[in-house]
Amino acid sequence: MAWIVEDRLKPYSPTRSEPYLSPAIRKQVEEKYFPRYPDKRAALLPLFHIIMHEYGYIAPQAIDEAAEFLGLARAQVQDAVTFYEEFRLQPSGTYVINVCRSISCELLGYRAVLEKIRQTFGIDPGETTADHKITVQEVECLGACEQAPCALVNEELHGCLQPEEFVRRLQELSR
Amino acid sequence: MAFAGPVLLKRIPADPAQRKLHRWADYVATGGYEGFQKARSIPPEDVIKLVIESGLRGRGGAGFPCGTKWTFLPKDVHPRYLAVNFDESEPGTFKDRYLIDHDPHVLLEGIAIAAYANRITTSYIYIRGEYHRQAKVLEEAIAEAYAHGVFGGKHPGTDIIHNCYVHRGAGAYICGEETGLLESLEGKRGWPRIKPPFPAVAGAFAKPTIINNVETLACLPHIMLNGAAWFKSMGTPSSAGPKLFGVSGHVHKPGVFENELGVKMSALIEKHAGGVKGGKYKAAIPGGVSMGILGTDQYDAELDFDIGKKYNVLGLGTAGVIVMNDQTDLVLALRNIVRFFAHESCGQCTPCREGTAWMHKILNRIAAGFGKPRDFDLLMEVALSMGAMPGTTICGLADGANWAVRTFLQKFPEEFKARLKSPQVQGVNLAPVAATV
Repeated sequence: MAWIVEDRLKPYSPTRSEPYLSPAIRKQVEEKYFPRYPDKRAALLPLFHIIMHEYGYIAPQAIDEAAEFLGLARAQVQDAVTFYEEFRLQPSGTYVINVCRSISCELLGYRAVLEKIRQTFGIDPGETTADHKITVQEVECLGACEQAPCALVNEELHGCLQPEEFVRRLQELSR
Repeated sequence: MAFAGPVLLKRIPADPAQRKLHRWADYVATGGYEGFQKARSIPPEDVIKLVIESGLRGRGGAGFPCGTKWTFLPKDVHPRYLAVNFDESEPGTFKDRYLIDHDPHVLLEGIAIAAYANRITTSYIYIRGEYHRQAKVLEEAIAEAYAHGVFGGKHPGTDIIHNCYVHRGAGAYICGEETGLLESLEGKRGWPRIKPPFPAVAGAFAKPTIINNVETLACLPHIMLNGAAWFKSMGTPSSAGPKLFGVSGHVHKPGVFENELGVKMSALIEKHAGGVKGGKYKAAIPGGVSMGILGTDQYDAELDFDIGKKYNVLGLGTAGVIVMNDQTDLVLALRNIVRFFAHESCGQCTPCREGTAWMHKILNRIAAGFGKPRDFDLLMEVALSMGAMPGTTICGLADGANWAVRTFLQKFPEEFKARLKSPQVQGVNLAPVAATV
């Protein structure tokens, strides 16, 4: 978990007229997820997974719309969404590289992977390249310790990383 | 003790080239869903009795007897839920992922049996968000199971329709704690609940709920088919049955291996995992980082649910063994573990939130060469003051941090004290922390 708080010094991001919760998304949640749970609130995680998949991050306006859609207060939605690390509140690069930093990956050299990424792309964990192609982050255990060091590239797991070779693959992806 | 061959991994060969995903047809062709049919041929109460008799204990970490857990459900209160704990976020643990990667139906059959025995209305498989592939595999397998009538039908003799769904988490270790999981299932932040009420009485959506680990449920089809005596013929008297062990870290062949409970760690490392890599054995974590560490002289520790009492660790945990060779810097290893807990603490309870963060700061200080002589005792004091067992926190996350720190300090005091003996010149030695553990 992480403490992510709203930066109130920045102006509220401009609203867009086209809703984030498109009719297609609403329909999908109503038909697929609402029947699964005894109340609408439980569809919150599935809904935001769809939003993440669609837009790559969660805009403040999407939280407003979700609150209205699920029949919750905005604070209730904000409270839940900010708890989960996978839900990003800022736009990221096209490829999000989640490098595992937990014990097995540290024993087998995840730091060398990050160092190679830093040398090649000039970004440290938490940063995005200027062309918005690659975002790199450190995350806790990915549950693939037998393939340490490992990383998730968007939704795909890459294991037994060799720094040079991994960076080459990332370069090909971002070309 | 007699472990004849793989049980849970019987569909997953040791040779990676021969492994494949078993879909419905493959699963049924290899004896799949026969355990479910057998269960349906006897009354639900007898299924529960059989599971109690088998001595099956929860594989998720706590080792609570599975059948006994089921009996805590209040009679005739419906709907009831089954939450399958597939959060598996404990560093060093990947056994459930490996199982589902190749054999998803064994979990679904286990769910079907547990749901039949307990008259469950809905089963939710709570899978961690990072397991994208496994969530898809399960969704497809569930669709196949629906098509063949495993789910979506009434429990015999009742009007209760049983459904089964996947519910994805979104990156939070604490959601593997059972009440944190339930909160997350309900669409809230994954803050563990104060107990009582226990989930069996008021769990998901304030209704009676059972929470079982993936591997626990995967044992059920085999118990139904082969009986309690067969299951008890493996393992030790208090720890019955086969067990998946995930071995990672400094070994030649890391991976998931199956053996009976009570197998010696040395045997697991040498026979299955190809031996220690890059040096001699120094230390190992028996089952996920929250269990603490086994010392150099505890190489032959028997991995069963009694390990805690015998070898001064918290327990067997998830049986995710992390091996460290004699080149490992244990100060940095412990720093990594404590950083994990500091990062994943949900922040509800002050001793955990503050304790983990301060221990991380102290270990950073020691690692950077600025450790003060009193830091050893200070670390121990902070560690021992936090956790559900001293009674200062809601859940066991702080106990995990507590046991990790205390066992590292107790079993390798010299390694820590050596870093405190020679204080560096203050303000000069700001050399970066060594790059590897």
